[in-house]
Parts: sequence; structure tokens; C-alpha cells
Amino acid sequence: MKPHEPHSDAASPAAPAAAPAASSVDRRQALKVMAAGALATVAAPYIRPASAAPGQLRALMWEGYLLPDVIAGFEETHKVKFAPTFFDGNSEAYNKLRVGGTKDFDLVQADGFWPSLYFREKLIRTVDYAKMPSTQHLFPVFKPDQYKLLTDEKTGVQFGVPFCWGSYGTTYNADQVPAEKAASIELLFDPAFGGRLSTSARFEENIALTGILVASRMGTIDKPRPDGKSFNPYVLTDAELEGVEKLLIEQKKLLLTRYQDNATLEQLLASGAVVAAPEFAQVYRLLLAKKAKGEIDTTFAHTLVPKEGGLGWVDTWLVSSGVPDGAGLDVCQSFIDLMTTPETMKKIALASGCSTTIDIRSLSTPEEQKLYLMDRTGELSKMYMFDQPSSTEKWERVWSRMQAA
Amino acid sequence: MKRRFAGPLLLGIPTAFLLALFVLPLVSMVVLSFWRTENYHIVQDWNLGNYITLATGGAYVTFLIRSLVMASIVSMVSVVIAWPVSYAIILYGGRYRLLFTLAFAVPFLTGEVLRVIALQGLLGPLGLINGVLMSLGAAPLRFIMYTNVASAIGLVYLYLPIVVTVIYLSLLNFDARLIDAAKIFGASPARAFFEVTWPLNLFGTLIGFALCFIPCLSATLAPRFLGGPNGTLYGMAMAQQFGESGTWALGAAMGVVLFLTSILAVLAVCLKVDLRRTGFTGLGRG
Repeated sequence: MKPHEPHSDAASPAAPAAAPAASSVDRRQALKVMAAGALATVAAPYIRPASAAPGQLRALMWEGYLLPDVIAGFEETHKVKFAPTFFDGNSEAYNKLRVGGTKDFDLVQADGFWPSLYFREKLIRTVDYAKMPSTQHLFPVFKPDQYKLLTDEKTGVQFGVPFCWGSYGTTYNADQVPAEKAASIELLFDPAFGGRLSTSARFEENIALTGILVASRMGTIDKPRPDGKSFNPYVLTDAELEGVEKLLIEQKKLLLTRYQDNATLEQLLASGAVVAAPEFAQVYRLLLAKKAKGEIDTTFAHTLVPKEGGLGWVDTWLVSSGVPDGAGLDVCQSFIDLMTTPETMKKIALASGCSTTIDIRSLSTPEEQKLYLMDRTGELSKMYMFDQPSSTEKWERVWSRMQAA
Repeated sequence: MKRRFAGPLLLGIPTAFLLALFVLPLVSMVVLSFWRTENYHIVQDWNLGNYITLATGGAYVTFLIRSLVMASIVSMVSVVIAWPVSYAIILYGGRYRLLFTLAFAVPFLTGEVLRVIALQGLLGPLGLINGVLMSLGAAPLRFIMYTNVASAIGLVYLYLPIVVTVIYLSLLNFDARLIDAAKIFGASPARAFFEVTWPLNLFGTLIGFALCFIPCLSATLAPRFLGGPNGTLYGMAMAQQFGESGTWALGAAMGVVLFLTSILAVLAVCLKVDLRRTGFTGLGRG
């Protein structure tokens, strides 16, 4: 018997046709089949597909980088349907990948140290820069020979393509906040601006940024660390974490809200309800564009790296380990190549307000070059890259206690 | 023969569905709650650590108390608003009363996120309310900007249609001639209401209360977008465990506690109310 052949004596032409027992079995089987069919039909939408539907390119990405017109062109050329899923923070994307997401997504975005963590845990695979000619346009500081966070130390192969970068600096209302105050993280804890401050809802960056301030105040930022490495705001000691918790609790009464998205922060800053907030400079650039159009009068400025030190990020395109060599990988790399062409990157910069890792100076005005920090890529080396907290459990407790206080 | 198979089949499918999509996930959540996580990794190490953290951590007890208070207030406010609305629809809606009730369901045609974000716009510093006040030269209402009051307004807005619908359906099945009978025997309208209408519709009211109370207890979106720095509720804190912090085992324990709290709350209400007096026959008693 072949594996796929139905095993049914009653269905066989040689079997007695009208025996009562056979009739009973038929009805029971029919009912079983109907019940199984009904159950399968009802449950089908809830069962996760084990692999990509043919002709689909599934991406786990930040919503701000979606360019519908460019993607529509790619879909037309490659006869695939682009299916994005959005996330807010790295840890959320990491969780999704770890619970089977490598089978659910072909492309993934991450920043800072996260891609190397993904690669160590075999959640993403290697990519071939030779198949992505756009990588030739990377600023020198983001090319594999200088930017080491996307290269496997053992084999020297690459596992990601950087496309945007920035800091978690402070955007402030220059009419109400003096520049010297805005040069420090202390601004975010200054009672003089109580009720007019906001921070993001991201727990890692709130704790890490406050950790830089606490370590500066405690004088531990330049001292030898317990792990023998240099200071990393994502690896804080218990004493530093205690200081962070205390400071975050004090900060609560100074905050109007913790913004959930850039659009909300843009409204709060534009209206004057908030005068300073840490963010990725994207809202800052959007506000400047509004001012240039005459839509707002307020002058806004941005501190890229506070004097105590700041957090930095490099957003990266990655290919999930669920994508095998061959056509699937080719489509993924073609997509990354298209998304990192100077022309596309210019559109992304204008739409999302981010600085690009691709050199788009030839497509930009002198004002744009200044605004998007095209000649300041070297400042990335002064920032602490986004990373995984040393103990998510400890950090979660700090965040929860602060929220409940 | 048809009846012999129809019963098990028709009851079997929903039973299998419930087992697969409710009981199994619940059991897996209970199992996970006795494990632990370590930097985004699940460690299958049987322990009571998560429950000890919840009981002694302080923060989680605060979140639960906040949520219980919030859910109770929102549910009571919703019932207080829903009763006259439903009663008015029944009394004066005429042949359009079904349309009136359905009109309350119109917001459900949009997503919950959209409704909460729309409300954020309405209550926020730039919103319609404060915008009008400020244009008139008045000070903005700070208590509706990113506060627990804003969360409560959001939750009432989200769940009021459910309470109205449930109380309306209860009143629809209520025999209004009983009120006439009470009046004929000398009862004032108020007495007729409190001794006839209210008790005979109490079970419907309780269902409406429960259908508002339980989702409010686990509310995530309203406190997240409207609650502000002091507005973290239990559901929001629980969602955080499954989202960015990746402390799934603690989140599962929070889920188990929430589930038990919901059941206890419903049982407490049931024990306080004489269900048979309300006409409830769901326990098999006529």
C-alpha cells in the first residue's frame, strides 16, 4: 500500500455493498470526516503557517520605514506580495523571533548590538554584500571593515545591512529651554520643567539613559567595572539600578506622559504642552520641516549626545534563518538592495526623519546635509549602542516598582 | 438516529473548540507560571518564585488593586448610564428601538486602538475639550490629560455599548404588564421600579456589569494611551511581561492571578444576589 492511498475496505469495489454493518460504519465515518472537516475549517485561520506562503515576502519591521510606493514597485517587478508586521522595540521583535518567528518572517529589522545577539542564537543568517550593490554607498564608518557589529568575528561574514542611524538625544523647545540645560541628561529630571517633560514608554532606554546619569553622579562611569569591560549602560550594577529606580520615581511627577509613538510626541511638542523629550531626532526633523513650511512658529533644537554620554542606534536589515539559500535569499537581498539605494534612502530620511548610513549627499541640499548629520557620522563612536539589558528580570522589577510608586 | 448523533456533534464541536482554544492555553499558562525566565529564555525549573514575586513585590499588588478599583468604578458608572438609556429606548424607542440599540454598536465597527487614539486626541492637550477651553481663555482641564480619570473615561466609552445592549435585551424580555399590575395595586412608579423592574432585570444588569468589569480588569490600551505616568494598570503591566521585558513566566503567573480574581469577583456577586429571584434558571433549577 502506498502511503497516501486511502485505507477503506468499505470503499473497495470488492467489499459487500449493502451489509447493515457496513452502512453503520459509513455513517460513523462520514460523521467523523464531517466533524474533522468542520473543526479544521474553523481552526484553520488560527493555525500558524509553518512556512512562507508562495510569493510572499514577510518582514518584521518598524512601521516608520514603510515606503508603499517603493514596495509596490518591488512587488510588481518580483511578483511577490510584501507582508509587513510591525514592532516597537528590539526586545519585542526578539521575543517574536524566539517563539518560532524565524518561520514566520523572511526579513527582520534590529539595531545596536541586537543583530549580533540574533546571529549568535541562529535567528538570522548571513548575507552577501556582493549581491547588494547599494552597500557600496555606505558611509565609510558603516562599511564592514569599520563597523564591526554586523560581522561574525569567527568567519568574517556579514549578517546585516545598516540603513539608518541616530542617537536617543533630547529634542527641546529652544524658546523655553536654555541650550546649556539641554546639553545634559539632568534636564529630564529638572523640577523647573515639571509637567512639561515627556519620555518614551520604552523601558530599556529609559533605564539605560538614567543609568548614564546615575553612573556619572556616582562617579562609577569611568571606574573599573565588575565585568572588567568599559561602562555599558545596559550592564548596570545593583547600586546603580537602585539609583536609577529612585531617579525614575522622582521623574514621574515631572512627566506629562510617556509617549507611545512619534506622532503623539510631535503633537505634544508642537502644541507647547511638552518642552523637552528624549527621542531619535526623527520628531525634531519633522518639526523643523513644519517650521520651514510655516506651520509652526516654535524653534526646536536637538542635543545629539548629552555631556554625560548618550545612547546610539544603527537600524539594520537582517534576513531570518528560516530563509534558505536560493530564490528566497535572492528576493530578500534584492529587497534590501532596493531599500538601501541612495534614492530610496533619501525618501526614507524625509519620511521618517532619520539619518542614513548610505551617503545621499549628492541628492541633498546643504541644509539637508547639516540637518541629517551627513558629515557627523563619526559621532556615532561616542555613543553607547542599544543593547540587551544584563538582566531583564531585574530591569523589569525596577520599571514595575517605578510604575507602581 | 439523527437525534442520537446530532446532539453529540453539535455539542462536541464547541466543546472541542473550547478545549483547544481556551482550556489548553490556560493549562499551558498555568504550567509556564511555575517555570522562570532568564534573559528572554524560559527555564523549565519548577518553582513558586513568580507567585512569591507577585505576592511580595508590592508593585503587582498595587497594579491589581488599582485595576479592581478602576474596573468597579467603570462598571458601576456604565450601569448607571446604561440603565436610563436602555429604559428610555424600551419605553420611547417604538419601532426604532432596535436601531437605537444598534447605533451604540457603531463604534465597534472600528478597532479598539483607533477608538482609544481618537479619545486621546479628544482629551489631550490639543484635544477638542481643552482646545475649546483654551480658545475661550480658560485653563485646560489637566485631570483629563494622561490621568486615571482619562483612562476611566476611555474604558466607559469602550464598554458602555456592551452594558447598554445587555440591559436592553434584559428589558426587552421583561413583561411590562407587571409594572401596570404593581401600579394598579397602588405602587408608586418608583416603588414599582425598585420592587418589580429592577429585581426582575437584575440578572441582566449583573451580566452587563460582569461583561464590563472583566475586560476592564485586564485593560491594556486605555491606560497605555490615556493613563499617563501614574496610570499603569494590571493588564498593562501583564502585557509588558509578554512584550518588551520578555518575562513570560511572571506574566503567566499574573494571568493566572487575574483569571482567579475574575472568577472570585463573579462568584462574590453571585453569592450576594438571589439569582432565582431574578428569574435565572441557568443552574438547572426551575
